[in-house]
Amino acid sequence: MIKIENLEKIYRTEEVQTKALNNVSLTVSEGEFVAIMGPSGCGKSTLLNILGLLDEPDGGSFAFAGTDVTHAPERRRAELRKKHIGFVFQSFNLIEELTVAENVELPLIYLGVGAAERKEKVAKVLEKMQIMHRRNHFPQQLSGGQQQRVAVARAVVNGPRLILADEPTGNLDSSNGNEVMELLTELNEAGTTIIMVTHSEHDARYAHRVIRLLDGQVVLEHAHV
Amino acid sequence: MLQHSLLLIYRNFKRFKTTFFINLVGLSVGLVGALTIYLWVHDEWSFDRYHATTGRLFRVLENQRTAEGINTYGTAPLLAEALAEEMPEIQYAAVATPPNFFPGFTLVAKGKTVRADAKFAGKDFFHIFSYNLQQGDASQVLANKTAAVLSQEMAAALFGTAANAVGKTVEWQLADLKQTVVVTGVFGPIPVNSTDQFDVVLSFDAFKGIMKMGESIDWAQDGPFNTFVVLHEGADAVRFQTKISGLLQRKLATNKKRALLVQPYADIYLHGEYTNGIPSGGRIEYVQLFSAIAVFILVIACINFMNLATAKASRRLKEIGVKKTLGASRFSLVAHYLAESVLMSFIALLIALALVELLLPQFNAITSKQLALSFQPHLVLSALGITLITGLLAGSYPAIYLSGLRPVEVLKGQLAGSVADLWTRKGLVVFQFMLSVLFIVCVWVIQRQLAFVESKDLGYNRNGIMSFEAAGRAAKQPKTFLAELKRLPGVVNASGMWGSLVGTYGAGRPVEWEGRKILANNLGVNYDMLETLGITLKEGRSFSPQFRADTMQIIVNEALVASLGLQNPVGQLLDNQRIVGVARDFHYESLHEKVKPFIFRLEPLTAGTILVRLAPGREQEAIGRIQQFYAAFNPGQALLTYHFLDDDYQAQYVAERRVGVLAQYFAGLAILISCLGLFGLTAFTAERRRKEIGIRKVLGASEFSIVYLLSSDLTKLVGVAILLALPVSYVVVKQWLESFEYRISLEYWYFLGAGLVAVSVAWLTIGAQAWKASRTNPTLCLRDE
Repeated sequence: MIKIENLEKIYRTEEVQTKALNNVSLTVSEGEFVAIMGPSGCGKSTLLNILGLLDEPDGGSFAFAGTDVTHAPERRRAELRKKHIGFVFQSFNLIEELTVAENVELPLIYLGVGAAERKEKVAKVLEKMQIMHRRNHFPQQLSGGQQQRVAVARAVVNGPRLILADEPTGNLDSSNGNEVMELLTELNEAGTTIIMVTHSEHDARYAHRVIRLLDGQVVLEHAHV
Repeated sequence: MLQHSLLLIYRNFKRFKTTFFINLVGLSVGLVGALTIYLWVHDEWSFDRYHATTGRLFRVLENQRTAEGINTYGTAPLLAEALAEEMPEIQYAAVATPPNFFPGFTLVAKGKTVRADAKFAGKDFFHIFSYNLQQGDASQVLANKTAAVLSQEMAAALFGTAANAVGKTVEWQLADLKQTVVVTGVFGPIPVNSTDQFDVVLSFDAFKGIMKMGESIDWAQDGPFNTFVVLHEGADAVRFQTKISGLLQRKLATNKKRALLVQPYADIYLHGEYTNGIPSGGRIEYVQLFSAIAVFILVIACINFMNLATAKASRRLKEIGVKKTLGASRFSLVAHYLAESVLMSFIALLIALALVELLLPQFNAITSKQLALSFQPHLVLSALGITLITGLLAGSYPAIYLSGLRPVEVLKGQLAGSVADLWTRKGLVVFQFMLSVLFIVCVWVIQRQLAFVESKDLGYNRNGIMSFEAAGRAAKQPKTFLAELKRLPGVVNASGMWGSLVGTYGAGRPVEWEGRKILANNLGVNYDMLETLGITLKEGRSFSPQFRADTMQIIVNEALVASLGLQNPVGQLLDNQRIVGVARDFHYESLHEKVKPFIFRLEPLTAGTILVRLAPGREQEAIGRIQQFYAAFNPGQALLTYHFLDDDYQAQYVAERRVGVLAQYFAGLAILISCLGLFGLTAFTAERRRKEIGIRKVLGASEFSIVYLLSSDLTKLVGVAILLALPVSYVVVKQWLESFEYRISLEYWYFLGAGLVAVSVAWLTIGAQAWKASRTNPTLCLRDE
C-alpha cells in the first residue's frame, strides 16, 4: 500500500539546515498496523505528514497504492486524502464552531455525498463510537476521551483505506487511551491499514510492527508477534 | 455544502462579536457612502436623456478661431432651416433662444397676470424634444407666427385648466415689447432632470419679425442661438459630423476661421464646457470626483475586513488545517471565505439602506436634488452589484491568504506570518490613513478658498444691492421710474441695465483700435450705475446727464486699457465710441476667471434690470416701499420679484460649496471607518499578546510601557501614512486651486494640521484599547493557558 524509498526532508531557516528525514525507506502493506516511535525531534511527525500527503519530501520517492505521488499537485493530494486517508491527531483538532455530528459529517461533504446518506453514515459511526448521545454537543462540552472518539469517528466515516494517527492517546488518561487503542485495533482487524506515531511503548504493543527513528533515520524495525 | 458554510459563518460571527460589529459598521458606512453617491451620479447622468430622440439629437455649435485661440459659440438664428435643406440625413431641425436668454416675461390674459420664463423656438421643437404635449399636435403647435404653447401650470393659472386654454389669446410683455398670441398647445410638467426649464414656448417666426431678421440665411452671420437637429433613424452620425464641420468653409470660401460642430444633446449637461474648440469637461468632473470618493470609502471599509480577517486568522487556523487535512480543495475554502464576506456585506447593505433612507433628506438639501430609494431596476441591480463586489473585494485577500496556508504548519500552530503578509497588512493600514489625511487636507483647503471668495474685495460693493426685472411702464419710462425710485426713503442709489452683472460672459465681442483687435465684454447701463455698484474710477469721469456727447459714451476698465496698450485713454474713440472714463478692475465674473477687458456703454433708455443700493439697516423697510411704489407705477403688472446681488455672486460657487460640505461628510466617514479598523487591530493585538502582557506585568512592567508596547507599531504606521499623504494631497489641492484665477496660497500648516488631526484621532483609538489591555489583572491572563 505504501512504498517509500530514500526519502529526504530538509528544513531550512536563515542560518541552519536541518535534515528531518535522511534516506528513509519503508514499505507498509495493506492491512498492517505500524507504529512509529522515537524521541522528540526524530522526524516521526514529518514522516507521518508526508505519508498523509500533507507535506512534500525533498528527495526520494513515495508510491501510494501503486502510484507515484512524490510530487503530485495539491489538487491530486487533496483528492487522495479525502478518498483514502483518515487522520487522528493528538490534540483532536475538532472544529469548535461545529457540533459533534457536523464535525464527523465534514469529510462526507467534501466527498460530495448526498445529505440523506451522510446522515445515515454519521449516525452509524457515532453509534459505533458510542458517542451518539452527544451528537449535538460542541467539542468544548466533551471530555478528552469523548473528543478523541469523535475525531476517530470523523477519520473513519468515509471508510478510508489508511488511518494516520499522530499520538492519538497523548492528551488522554490511560483508561481513555486504552479505549482509543481498542478502537484502532478493531478498525485494523476490519481491514484498515493504520500507521501511528507514538511515544508510548504500551500503545506500540497494539501494532504489528514498530519502526524506530532517530535523527531522521530508521534505526530499528521489529515485529510484534 | 452551502448550508454547512452558512452555519460555520453564523457561528463564527457569534464567536468573534467585536470583529463582526466592526466589520458590519465599517461596511455599512462604506455602503452608505457608495449608495448615496450612486444615487447622485445616476441622477446627474440621467439629465436630458429622457427625450425619445436621444442618440439622434444634437446641438449645433460654432467654433471661431481668433488670435487668442478657438472660441465656441451658439449659431446664427436661421441656420436650422438652412441645415435641413442642405443635409438629407436631418429629420428635424429647429432653432431656439438659449435658456435664460430673456429675463422673465409677463403674461396677461382675462385680467390675470403671471410671470413666466419664455423661449422662442422653431416649429419642430416639440418633435425634437419629448416635452409631453397634452394639448395640441407636435407638427401644428408652433406652425403659426402667433402661436404660444403653455405649461400646464401656466395654463391652469391663466385659464383654470389645460383644455380651456387652447384657442384663447394671451398678451406677453417683455420690457417695452408686447404681442398678442393664441394658445395652440399645453405641455405637461418638465422633468426635474431637464436642463432647460421654461413656462411658455413662442414661435421663432414672431422673434424674427421683432428682430427684423429676414427670411433666408446669411452664411456670414453668427449668433448666440441654439440650433437643434435630429437625424433620421440609421443615419451615420460620424459622417454627419464630418460633413457639417466643412459646411461653412464651402459656403464662405474667403473665411477659413469658422466651423460648425455638433454635440449630442444628452452630453451638454455633463460635458458642457469647451476650451479651444474641443470639449473640456464640465459637471462630469464632479461626477468623476465623487465616484472616486465612493470607491475610496468602500476600499477603506474592505481593507478593515481584510485586515481583521487575516489578523484573526490564527484563531481560525485549526478549522482551516482540519478542512485541508480532510481533503477540502483550495477552491472550496476560497468559496467559503468569499461566501462569508459576501454574506457580511449583504447584512451591511440592509443597515446601509436604512441609513440612506434616514440621511437622504439631508443629502438632498445639500445637493438640491430629489433623490429617493425606490425599486427601480437600475437601483436594485446597482445596489446588489456594489454590495457583491464589495463582498468579493473584502473577502478576496483573506480567502487567498487563508486557503493558501499549509495544513501541517497550521495544525502545529506555526503560523509566524510571513514577512509579505505582515507588509500587506501594514500597507493596507497605511493606505487607509493616507486617504483619510488626503480628505482632511481637501476639506480644509476648500473651506479656506471659499472663505477667501466670500471676503475678497471685488472692486465693487455687492452687499445691500437689490435687483429686479422691470416691466411695463417702468421699462418704458426708465428716466421717470428711476428718478422717483431714488427719492424713496432707504434707497441710496439706483440704476438700470440689460441682463445681469454677475455671471459668465464668455469670450466677449471684438473691439478694434488702430489695427489692434481684442475681445471685450460689454454691458449697456443707465446713469449712476458705477455709483450704485461702488465701482471707482481711475481716471476720467462717470456717465452724467450734464454732459451731452455727439457719440455713444463708454467707460472701459483697466484690463482693456492694458490689453490695447492705450496711452491717455480718456477722450479717445474706440469703434466710434467715446471713452469718458477708466474704471478700476472689478470681478464681474467668478474668481475662476481673470478680469477681462470690459466696456460700460451708456444707454439711458435701458432699464431691463434695475439695481438699487439700499441704506444699511433699512433694507426691509426700503424693500416694502419699493414694492408699493412699483405696483403703483405699473398698474396691471405682475408683482415685483427681487433678489440680491450678493446671492447672485454666491450662486457662482454653488458647486464648490457643495463639494466642500460633502467632502466634510465623506472625510468624516473615511476617518470613522479607518479608526474602526485600528480599533479592531489593537483589540486583536492585545488579545493575542495577553499572555505576554501578563508575564511582563508579573515581571514589573508599568502600564505605560504596556500601552507603548501595544500602540507603537500602529502609531508608526499612521505616521508613515501621513508622510506619504502630504505630497499627494499637495498635488491634488494645488490642482483644484488652479481652477481659480484668484486663490489662497497653500500654507504648510494646512498639511501639518491635517496630519495632527489624523494622528490624534488614531492615537485616541489605539490608546484607549491599549490602556484597557494594560489594566487587566496579570493572573487572569496567565490562567487561560
